[in-house]
Amino acid sequence: MSQQQDAAASLYRKDPKVYPRDVKGRFASLRKLAVLVLLGLYYILPWVNWAGHQSVLFDLPARKFYIFSLTFWPQDFIFLTLMLIIAGLSLFFVTAVAGRLWCGYACPQTVWTEVFLWMEQLVEGDRNKRMKLDASPWNKNKILRKSAKQVLWISFALWTGFTFVGFFTPIRGLGEAVVTFQLGGWETFWMLFYSFATYGNAGILREQVCKYMCPYARFQSAMFDKDTLVIAYDEARGEPRGSRSKKDNLAEKGLGDCIGCTLCVQVCPTGIDIREGLQIECIACAACIDVCDQVMEKMDYKKGLISYTTEHRLSGAESHVFRPRILVYAVLLLALVAGVIFSVNNRVLLRADLLRDRNALYRELPGNQIENVYTLKLINMDFKAHKYKIEVLNNDDIRLFISPEPALEAEEVGNFILRMQAPVSAGKGSMKVDVKFSTLDEPVIERTVSARFLMPYE
Amino acid sequence: MTTQHPVNRRWNRKQRDWAVVFWIAFLAASAGAFVLFGLVDPLDMVNSWAHEYDIGVRLAYGLAFAFLYLVCLLASALTMFMIRTGPSRGHAKGEGKRPVPEVRDPSLSSPDIDGEDWK
Repeated sequence: MSQQQDAAASLYRKDPKVYPRDVKGRFASLRKLAVLVLLGLYYILPWVNWAGHQSVLFDLPARKFYIFSLTFWPQDFIFLTLMLIIAGLSLFFVTAVAGRLWCGYACPQTVWTEVFLWMEQLVEGDRNKRMKLDASPWNKNKILRKSAKQVLWISFALWTGFTFVGFFTPIRGLGEAVVTFQLGGWETFWMLFYSFATYGNAGILREQVCKYMCPYARFQSAMFDKDTLVIAYDEARGEPRGSRSKKDNLAEKGLGDCIGCTLCVQVCPTGIDIREGLQIECIACAACIDVCDQVMEKMDYKKGLISYTTEHRLSGAESHVFRPRILVYAVLLLALVAGVIFSVNNRVLLRADLLRDRNALYRELPGNQIENVYTLKLINMDFKAHKYKIEVLNNDDIRLFISPEPALEAEEVGNFILRMQAPVSAGKGSMKVDVKFSTLDEPVIERTVSARFLMPYE
Repeated sequence: MTTQHPVNRRWNRKQRDWAVVFWIAFLAASAGAFVLFGLVDPLDMVNSWAHEYDIGVRLAYGLAFAFLYLVCLLASALTMFMIRTGPSRGHAKGEGKRPVPEVRDPSLSSPDIDGEDWK
């Protein structure tokens, strides 16, 4: 780099590392509660059993997803797709109503970063102590504190990785495998991979993920309107900002309510100044609201210099919660949720696939009989074992032969050979045959599938 | 002062962006299809859950490629969107619309905020 370029570069100040100051208050408590509930669900759910199996288990090798009393099979993929659409639509709906609630309280990036920050504060102290520690030379105290933090971070990340794999492999068996050093290769890989991702994202990258990598942060503005809840600084009330004692007469000094303490900047996990206006980097965690309210209280000023508000309210106009886009999102969401609940409740817990034997169209048997052979795949999606009756609905000439006996254990998949025989006089060419499968015991589960029965043309 | 004339056959930024998105996604999907279908028969995949529709081998390859192309297109378009809407050149050096926020010892703003070691 030339001297000239050096001089130009030195005019700019690089983004310093963000050392968020600890904050207490209404929204900080809400955030802590959200962290406890969400992480509690994440770490505890795989250990809870439900109806004889792990409450939430995505059993990929068996191609079955267990979610409490529901089991989703590959054929139920549509439900999982619909649930993803519902999740997406809920995000749109919540964003349009309340802004970036997801970012501030529920996003895994926020939630895990918060926990990693707690551990950092526990070991290294609050903002100023952390800054001093980082600036100090490497001595015994610094080595001890930094090592203790890394031990905590790495242990927590490993536990997170272990739990993640526990959603895909039964977690109790996985725990035993870890303790007895008998973990499989892929389980070890995914555990370490997810631990590394947690450590990297929540420990190292932190706000950079929200600022540079998150697509939601970029297009959330498309879901905003002037009635969406945002965190904003009341410029009309706060400016001009300046130092003062609380006994000072503001009118005489020509000052607004902002005392310029910069605490709102110091608590911000993305290191922005909310007083500069709405910014894409703001994750709406409300830390600045909490700290500013505390300052206002100490100064005997009215709270709410920084607050959850809307652009309309800030400009003195009326704000509306019910707007066309909110109603459209709400109606769509309700319809989808109702549709999914209805269809999940009305699922037929039996799947039958009839596949023609591709090697021969038909076989001529003695006694002027024609035979078609099929491979039958029966899936008992119920939690009970069942025996099944099989009958042809629309053709009395066709007789059925099946081997072995159609009986399946709970959640069993069985393959059978199904033979259909009919006299030559029954018809010509291709005939559509409806085959009905029904349980011989309670509860009654029925399914009818169609197949082609081929006869000679002449 | 010279007048700017549009130059024949030069694309504007949006045209260039989308052309790149479609073309790179196509290349990626083609490479992916070659490797994937060298190992897996798409007809087997389709037959395992939709055999009742009796999908022929050509349609199975077509559908599988279309799916791959769609996924690559989404990734490609999202990448373009993220880069185009990201910070501009010089951002890391502190250039841009907003300066790096200044912070200071809060107690300098008012002697009435106390109770913590601000320094």
